[in-house]
Amino acid sequence: MVETGALPRRDMTLLDMRGISKSYPGVKALEDADFAVRRGEIHGLVGKNGAGKSTLMGILMGIREADSGTIAIEGETLHQASPQTMIDAGISYVPQHINLLNTLTVAENILVGNLPKNRFGLVDWKAVNEDSQARLSRLGLKLDVRQPVEGLSVAERTMLAIAKALFNDARLIILDEPTAALSRVDIDLLFGFVRAQQEQGVAFIYISHHLEEVFEICDRVTVMRDGRIVGMRAINEIDVADLIHMMVGGGVEEYQRESSAGHELVFEVQDLSRRGAYEHVSFALRRGEVIGISGLQGSGVDELAQGLFGLERMGVGDVTIAGEAYRPGSPKSAFEAGVAYLPQDRHRYGLVQLRSVRENVTYSVLDRLVGRLGVLMRQDEQAITEEYIDKLGIVTPGPEQRTLLLSGGNQQKVVFAKLAATQPAVLILHEPSQGVDVQAKVDIFNIINDLSRQGVAIMIISSEVRELIGLCDRILVMYEGRITKEFSRAADNMQPEDILLAIEGGPGDADA
Amino acid sequence: MRTPNRHDLLEFLTRHFIWVVLVFTVVVFGLTIKGYLGLANIANILITGSVLGVMVIGQSLCLMARKLDLSAEGTVSLVAVVAAWLMLPYRETDLAQAGGLGVELDPLIVIPLILALGALIGFVNGFMIMKLNMNFFIVTLAMQLVLRGLALAISEGAIMPGTPAAFNWLGGGRIAGIPVSVIATIGLYLVFGFVMSRMQFGRKVYAVGANEDAARASGFSPARTVILVYTASGFLAALAGWMLLGRLETSVPNLGIGLTLNVVAAAVIGGVSLKGGEGSIIGAFAGVLFLAMVNNALNLMNVDPLWVNAVRGLIILVALIIDAQKTRYAGRAGPSAPTTTVVADADQNAAVS
Repeated sequence: MVETGALPRRDMTLLDMRGISKSYPGVKALEDADFAVRRGEIHGLVGKNGAGKSTLMGILMGIREADSGTIAIEGETLHQASPQTMIDAGISYVPQHINLLNTLTVAENILVGNLPKNRFGLVDWKAVNEDSQARLSRLGLKLDVRQPVEGLSVAERTMLAIAKALFNDARLIILDEPTAALSRVDIDLLFGFVRAQQEQGVAFIYISHHLEEVFEICDRVTVMRDGRIVGMRAINEIDVADLIHMMVGGGVEEYQRESSAGHELVFEVQDLSRRGAYEHVSFALRRGEVIGISGLQGSGVDELAQGLFGLERMGVGDVTIAGEAYRPGSPKSAFEAGVAYLPQDRHRYGLVQLRSVRENVTYSVLDRLVGRLGVLMRQDEQAITEEYIDKLGIVTPGPEQRTLLLSGGNQQKVVFAKLAATQPAVLILHEPSQGVDVQAKVDIFNIINDLSRQGVAIMIISSEVRELIGLCDRILVMYEGRITKEFSRAADNMQPEDILLAIEGGPGDADA
Repeated sequence: MRTPNRHDLLEFLTRHFIWVVLVFTVVVFGLTIKGYLGLANIANILITGSVLGVMVIGQSLCLMARKLDLSAEGTVSLVAVVAAWLMLPYRETDLAQAGGLGVELDPLIVIPLILALGALIGFVNGFMIMKLNMNFFIVTLAMQLVLRGLALAISEGAIMPGTPAAFNWLGGGRIAGIPVSVIATIGLYLVFGFVMSRMQFGRKVYAVGANEDAARASGFSPARTVILVYTASGFLAALAGWMLLGRLETSVPNLGIGLTLNVVAAAVIGGVSLKGGEGSIIGAFAGVLFLAMVNNALNLMNVDPLWVNAVRGLIILVALIIDAQKTRYAGRAGPSAPTTTVVADADQNAAVS
């Protein structure tokens, strides 16, 4: 560590990242990003999912390697970036889900790996407790150090994690969605603690989807979009609307899909509730209609999608497909009833990456490909695979290529092919354009368009508001487990700013 | 379309590595050991390889489903003891030799009975693992102990010599001079090779083994598939027990002990990955041939028995190293293979967009 001797000056730059770029095959995750944090400031970092925040933070923590760019801390350029060098440089990360040794006490967690011993070589518990208590009170944190960590509230755990980082000489602490699970009282407690540390010259990077909190605690805010830094502003120079506008962007080339909604109701969800996930959800889908559902993490959208496909319990309520009751016990029964689901987590639920394109495409229709004695009909299988490789434009050396070796966009198309092969009546798409490049996005939108023209009722769960506006006939917003707002082309009220505000739980008359 | 590159070559070699090794082994042993490629010795290799071979099929299915069956060798012990016990006439235990229960059942009844017993043991394994959410390693290890213990208890630790000829046909008989066990084993490889590559069941096993979550989301039932895999493994282990007892004509209570490591090794040498979802039955067959040849060569070369285990262990380790490299290579080649990261969930999946 560099000892400057002088008191820390507030306007001095602590962290200076310049020209950071990072590509994954087919995707530019970060492009020429500049990001700087001053000493003793709380610096907000906002952007939609996939804007590049986590890639940027990953590089800062040394767990991802930048393709180009430099990182300097207090003017000293770091020549290599490993997790250890970053920790040594005083950078620390406090994740949303805190990692502590839950069954051990607060004191043990603080002194873990360095417990004081008495002259018999045994742990000196008295010293452990006194030492850790003293350390905590220096930070102004009141906690019973003898208490096991599992008894602490989430806010207390977060503060303990911050305290631990400070004991390790952290100068810059990254807080990732620290308030996601907190009540207002706990938020105040946490913010008070964070401000107290800020007074001592500690800097924070504050990542959050809750914009009003960004305004509450941050000094400056940097906005990211599509792998680029859109801008950096002092918090008193802007308001929520400006910030949302920066996050959503404008003037981007947009995909506009023409409506193909019919009249016939295909899929009806009535008063569907599942404890702890969603409540009183009702909506209906017509033949050929495309609707979007958007909400923050924890708003219940993810659970709703998985519940409707039988990956999780669906809960209580009535769901009908073409008038017939629908209760999926498993994905298999969902497929049989005509519902197909594109999972958000392609690697975990979408693809069997070790296996070939041919196998993946035909998994969902194996029952139809079985000839006598359970033998698969090779020619039919080949025909289906080639049909979809052709139709969806899957770029692969051949049907036998392992899907693991395809680019993100082509992997996603393989999952689409698997679903389309079942000829579903209802298609649930969970973040369909995530992790794919721009060209593949357009291809995927075309696939969605084609399927809707064939009469498939499509429900897209996405946080990409602009994409939803281009694709959907209607957009429903979910907040805290309920559908709180509906926007539609018919009502001509699909304004990205309004939708994003509703997603963030902003003011608005709930009309659902 | 793209032209094959270095990666394709590497992948091809790692996939078919065993065949290269096999040819090399034949040439080296053939040139250095006198009589190695003589008919008598080849028959010897194949006969000793057939029990191993039958067990490797079952273990390969388990490995492909990303599981392991440690109980198979216990099944071998138990069915051998049960078969002898049910077939042999009663006699007082004498000099650690015993007779049977005295019911003297016909081999034609006993054979289906022990095969069903093996299948049942496998089913119970699979049921506990998938329906009761128990760890496959511990379940099958405990099952091995149970089966071995039962075999000892029933036989009272004594050998039971003199199984009937009809029963011994599979293990010791010959058709036109070719050992029945060899024919049967090759037949089983053809059947299971076909099942795994061309039938729905095989497709599901690979899918479940490679990614259980995605398999479920594709409409498969992992529980059903895995239970069937274990049932098949138990059945094949019982068949191997029948074959082995038929060859020895004497039930030994600890028959089959220590087979598991050889069985797993043969499968892994043959390219069946310990990480599931990969490998082929025909590859496993090559693994069996290789291991049987090496064991035979160690015998013929009069390698000090004290060294034999070290050599075997080394071969197994080398196979495991290759397996680990193979999966590591596959992971690296993937453009978006999942990486471990500590970044919070919120953005984790979106990190590359």
